[in-house]
This record gives sequence, C-alpha cells and structure tokens, in this order.
Amino acid sequence: MEKSLVFNINGTGLNVDLVGIIGSTLMAIVVFAICYALSRKVEMKPNKKQNVLEYLIDFTDGIVKDNVEDPAAQKHLSLYAFVLFLFIFCMNQLGLFLEVKVGDYMVIKSPTADPVTTMSFAMMTLLLAFTLGIQKFGTKGYLQNYARPVGFLLPINIIEEFTNFLTLSLRLYGNIFAGEVLLTLIGNQLGPSMGIVTRILAAPLAMIWQGFSVFIGSIQAYVFVTLSMVYIGNKVTQE
Amino acid sequence: MEFQPVFAGAEISIINTLWYLIVFSILLLAVKHYAWGPVKDMMEKRRQKVIDDLDQAASDRKKAEILANEREAALKNSRQEATQILSVAKSNAQKTGKQIVSEAKAEASAIRERAKADAAQAKSDALNEARNEVADLSVTIAEKVIAKNLSAADQKDLVDQFIKGLND
Repeated sequence: MEKSLVFNINGTGLNVDLVGIIGSTLMAIVVFAICYALSRKVEMKPNKKQNVLEYLIDFTDGIVKDNVEDPAAQKHLSLYAFVLFLFIFCMNQLGLFLEVKVGDYMVIKSPTADPVTTMSFAMMTLLLAFTLGIQKFGTKGYLQNYARPVGFLLPINIIEEFTNFLTLSLRLYGNIFAGEVLLTLIGNQLGPSMGIVTRILAAPLAMIWQGFSVFIGSIQAYVFVTLSMVYIGNKVTQE
Repeated sequence: MEFQPVFAGAEISIINTLWYLIVFSILLLAVKHYAWGPVKDMMEKRRQKVIDDLDQAASDRKKAEILANEREAALKNSRQEATQILSVAKSNAQKTGKQIVSEAKAEASAIRERAKADAAQAKSDALNEARNEVADLSVTIAEKVIAKNLSAADQKDLVDQFIKGLND
C-alpha cells in the first residue's frame, strides 16, 4: 500500500497533504492554460477556439439556468459553474493518466480521490448557497425558510443541510476513488500476478477501465455542478 | 492486501481545504479576467447584434411591404384613371360625332330649303317675265291686227267685252 505525502507542521498538529496540493495546483494551471489558449482572439465572428469556449460556457450556463430560477443569482453563478466544472473535470481525469510514485510515496493522483478535497468544494458550494440565500431574503427571512412550506419540516430541513454536504462530497470522492483503486489493482496486483500472460491480459482491461473512468469523471463533474446549482437554487427561491 | 479505513487514513487537514479554496478563487479570478469575461462580453454583444439585426430586418420588411402596397395602389389608381380617361374620350367622341352629324343634317336641310326657295323664285320670275312678254307680244300683235282690220262693230264689241271684264 502506498503512503501519501502528509507532513505535520511542527507544534500545531496541522496536517498538510502534499498530493492534493500538487494535484490541485497543477490542474488549476491546466484549466487556466486551456481557457487562456482558447480565448486569445475574441471576435464577433467566432473562430474555432472561441467556439469551443463558448460551447463550454453555454453548457455550464445551461446547468445554471435549468436549476436556478433567480436571474440575479444566475448571473453570479455562471462563472462559478464554469470554473468549477472545468476544475473538477480536470482533477477527476488527472489520476487516470498520471500517477506518479516516488519510492513508496504517491506524489500525483486525482485530488478528488481524497475526501478532504471534495468536502472543501462541497463546503464552498453550500457556503455560497447560504450567502446568496441571506443576500436575497435577509437573515431572518433565510432562517424562516427552514420552516417552509410547513413548520414540522424544520428538523428535516436542518438535517438536509448536513446530508447535502455529505452526499455532494462523498459521491464525487467515492466514484473517483473507486476508479483509481480499481485501476491500481489492475496495474499493480493483477498485472504481475501470473507473469507475462496476465500482464498482456491486464493491458486491455486497464484501457477499458480507464475509458470508463473518463466517462465517470465527466459525469461526476457534471453531477457535482448540477447538484451544487440545485442546492443554491433551493436557497434563493421561496417554496 | 489491506485497506486502511477511509477516515482514519486521511486526517482532516484544514490547510488543504484552505489551499483548495485559495487556488480555486485565484483560478476563478484569472479565468474571469482572461477568458470568461471577454468571451461573455462578446457573446452578449453578438446577442445584441442579432437582436438589432432581426429588428432591422423586421422593420425593413415592413417598409418594403408598405412600399409594395403603395405601388400596387398607385397601379390600380392609374389603371382606373386610364379607364376613366378612355371612357370620357369615348363619350366625348360620340357626342362630337352626333353633333357633327346633326349639324350636317341641319345644314343639308337648310341648303335644300334654300335651293327649293330659289327654284320657286326662279320659276315665278321666269313665269312673270314670260307673262309680261306674252302680254307685250299680244298687245303688239293686237295693235297690228287692230290697226289692219278693226271695224266699228268690232271696236264696239271689244269695248263691251272690256267693260264686262271690268264688271267681273
């Protein structure tokens, strides 16, 4: 079993997981590079690159518009959904083609195969939802929304906040983590188990599973953004 | 092969969370400034342009329709005018023709009348002249005859006859 690169900051008891930091930073740079490269010549009559970027923006705008009815919130969320989708998508794919191991230490893998990462993003989404909700209805109105549409739903609505957080983060984490575990198993355990024969057999299997994982990673990025927008949409509309 | 339990293996690390949030916000700002902003602006501009173009096209079409209607109306008008002019000209021509014919008829009848009158006049003149001449001739003849062999009896007879004629 590989070890992860976790450092303990002396005297504080705080842990720093370098794998997540390296992976997320790398993918942030990649996302920025893609967007930067695609938007070099912005024209009224779009060129091919601009078309790709506009298609992506339209796609995420579609997610936002389908789930958030408030037009003011839609405007704010358009950028958020766009960047979140690309960022999570790239982080999901990172571990599929790049797993760098130095000695026993895993240096690069999908940051989203770590619950801390997914929980961070889920928390960010929910905080954004709270903020937008309070902005729209005021603190009092926002808190009153927990007792809507009927009063006895109050405890359920409050519990829902926690379950939203957990389902949003753990769904993404579980999918990506499982994909990577299976990929590692195929490559490290199944491959060398019976010599050359299983190595040859493991190659197409790994390929198939990688393809499937690309699919899963895309779907999960879409699902994450969609559910984020659903939660935010719930907060900014009154039932 | 052993797996560590998920939550025991990965200790919750607040530094990582902060790092993700910072990276994400920096990414958000950078993408907004370099890619999303300009492209979104351009999309909005294009949307506006399409709306303007559509409006322009609609108003142009309306204008063209109005123009076509006007032209059609003018055409219809001119056709009507032409028919009117034609009919007026026809009736005028008929009227003039009738007038000319009636005038000609009147003139012809006047000429005929005059000719008749002239003829009658000439006839009566000729008759009168002839009568005068005959009278003169007869008188001359009578003078000659009388001068030759008028007896007293005859003269008396003549006088009587004359007187008788006076009485009638």
